[in-house]
Amino acid sequence: MLTEPRHRIREATLAAATEDLGEDYEWRSDSLRQRWRLAVRRHRWPLLFISPFFVLFAVFNVYPVLFSFWLSLHDWPGLGPMDFIGLANYTELAHDPLFWNSMLNSVLLFFIYVPVMTFLAVVLAAVLNARFLKLQGLWRALIFMPNITSMVAAGYTFRLILDKDSGALNHALAFLHVAAVPWLDDVWWARISLGLLMIWAWLGYNTVIMLAGMQTIPRELIEAAKVDGANAVQAFRRITVPLLRPVIVFSMTLSIIGTFSMFTEPYILTRGGPIRATETPVIEIFNSTFTDLRFGYAAAESYVYFAIIVVITLLQFWTVSRSDPVR
Amino acid sequence: MSQDDIGTEGNPIAGFLHGEISRRELMRRLAILGLAAPSVAAIIEACGGASPTSQPAALSKDLKGSLTIWGWSASVAALKLVDTDFSAAFPNISVKYVERPPGDTYRNIQLAIAAGSGAPDISIIEDSHVSQYVQLGALADITDWVKPYVPQIVSYKWTWIQKSNRYYAMPWDPGPVGVFYRRDIFQQAGVDPASIQSWEDFYQAAKTIKQKTGSFMWQQAKARNDGRLFETLLWQRGTGYINAKGDVILDKDPKVRDTLEFIGRFWTDGLAADQEPWTDPWYKAQAGGGTATVIDAVWMGTFFKSFIAPKAAGSWGVALLPVWQAGGSRASNDGGSVLAIFDQSQQKEAAWAYTQFHLGRNQSQLQIYEKTDIFPSLRSSFQDSFFQEGDPYFGDEKVRSMFADIAAKIPNAGIYSRDYQEMSNLTTPEIQKYALGQQSAQQALANAAELIREKTHRS
Repeated sequence: MLTEPRHRIREATLAAATEDLGEDYEWRSDSLRQRWRLAVRRHRWPLLFISPFFVLFAVFNVYPVLFSFWLSLHDWPGLGPMDFIGLANYTELAHDPLFWNSMLNSVLLFFIYVPVMTFLAVVLAAVLNARFLKLQGLWRALIFMPNITSMVAAGYTFRLILDKDSGALNHALAFLHVAAVPWLDDVWWARISLGLLMIWAWLGYNTVIMLAGMQTIPRELIEAAKVDGANAVQAFRRITVPLLRPVIVFSMTLSIIGTFSMFTEPYILTRGGPIRATETPVIEIFNSTFTDLRFGYAAAESYVYFAIIVVITLLQFWTVSRSDPVR
Repeated sequence: MSQDDIGTEGNPIAGFLHGEISRRELMRRLAILGLAAPSVAAIIEACGGASPTSQPAALSKDLKGSLTIWGWSASVAALKLVDTDFSAAFPNISVKYVERPPGDTYRNIQLAIAAGSGAPDISIIEDSHVSQYVQLGALADITDWVKPYVPQIVSYKWTWIQKSNRYYAMPWDPGPVGVFYRRDIFQQAGVDPASIQSWEDFYQAAKTIKQKTGSFMWQQAKARNDGRLFETLLWQRGTGYINAKGDVILDKDPKVRDTLEFIGRFWTDGLAADQEPWTDPWYKAQAGGGTATVIDAVWMGTFFKSFIAPKAAGSWGVALLPVWQAGGSRASNDGGSVLAIFDQSQQKEAAWAYTQFHLGRNQSQLQIYEKTDIFPSLRSSFQDSFFQEGDPYFGDEKVRSMFADIAAKIPNAGIYSRDYQEMSNLTTPEIQKYALGQQSAQQALANAAELIREKTHRS
């Protein structure tokens, strides 16, 4: 190429540039198979380079998802032949008190901790975003730290702290002449304790999301408000929070999914008790699989659970983002 | 055993190898291992039952293998006590242990079963869980190997490891239950432990002890109750979740309700310490006299001596369970375990060599019991002079012969079964609700029974 005269090079470039158009034109008359073959051949290197992801995704995500559905139509104890039973697992599930109890627990847990956590996350993010704050990196790291701590270790630590007789928290309350609280020994307190653990573990994560959102809000808007006589709290309420709305919606969506798929936290802290008060759908699915050895039923539970999360998430998106954020 | 049971596995060797290896392949492998024809003949003889002597088949010293064995720390430590002798007897078999808590062990077993590979050669499995795997077909049929042991081992231990007259595991320890009691607390309260004959006596003593010493009679968590004592007491009365036919009787047998209400009196009268089992407060109360009794199986001694209350030597004594009615049973069971060889294992013979060496000899079982309180199941081992010696931890009381008596008298009860874990999980929340005073015992049992019928399709 290099030895060729300049005008020849220009011609070649021009031909290359119009190649797509020409081929498109020709393709119309070609069979679909030929088009495919041609496309694959043309893109063989890029396809090869991106293939590891798709191969792994197919093996570890697509296949299990499809297999689960197939499994959900069968009765299978984990070994031996699978009995095809059609939708029997789903009809049984429709009136399984334990499964719906676990769904209800998730809804209750959501209302117990998500509003508080989201509110705290917005406030913390505003503080961390303030110009007067020194050592910002340090504070951000500290707040995020619980999220990367092993949940098993944290769960056991919370168990020790919250024990009604020997726990540090009740000892501290006794010092303040407050009666002992049955943190893990009462249906409602156990849910609250679980909420506390969730807030401890996930507040930092949500704060970081809010902080990222706040940093996209132009400073001029807040400065303009201040010029108009708004104080810091008013500016926060009237400017920052409304503009942050899509980010809050996003973070709450993650929290919905997180609440319904909660497993490690209740499994360690409360073991689903007392009286099944903190049994979440995933614990229920886990029990169906590993205790009851009903793999097909557990798969059906997973599908229904997934469908419910999708519906709730869409509903939440729809209701919250329907109205205009800035009035 | 009928011809039907044997089916296509009429040939004894092909039978115990369960279709994994054909007869020809077996012969080839035995030849490779250098096993001469006589030892094959010995195996055939032993398995076919041609010889009336119940002597277990001798295994070749040259057996090769590298075994993986799953279990939890206390029991693995016990098995290890025999390993030096085992390696001397079978120098070509190496052993690797994987220690996990019981729950994790079972989950890993289930994953390995479902995946079709990854199971260990051998696992320790509790009597409460083994039935599930037997019914599932995950364990190797070792009938021909264990048959000679059937008359030699405490009979109730065979209940859960049989299916259609075939055997799928080798019994290890039974779980004879006694009342561990604090001599010091009883003395302080002026209660003579020997005077407690019935459970009513026990309840009256609980009131006296609470009044005079402030100690609780036993530990029974309310919101975190695990139902274990309830099961132990049902076992003593020969009842349980289900009857011999497999039908749910929780709400039908008046003895069940009576038992739960008896436990309930300790809650309403403030005679039970509200402590969750296997947590620090639970240990602490046992070490420090917060509880006057612990009703549990013989293996509890291991935990007292090792980490719960090593300094309390001499303060604890052991008594028989009180009776429910005059002349009633004083024996019950809690826990106990087996060694099971997995169907997936490619070295079943070496695995059996290990199992037989560790559990099929008085010497090994005694070696374990002398160090750990994991009780032998071979009846002949009870004749050893060790059983007549006092246990210094229990104030030189002859607890060993006492537990041997209990082990021989454990009644049949409908507690452990293929879906024990599920039935127990469905029942404990109802017990918790009863303990917290939110429903009656009758309601609790009715709810539990209904859930169990719904979920397990039992009638």
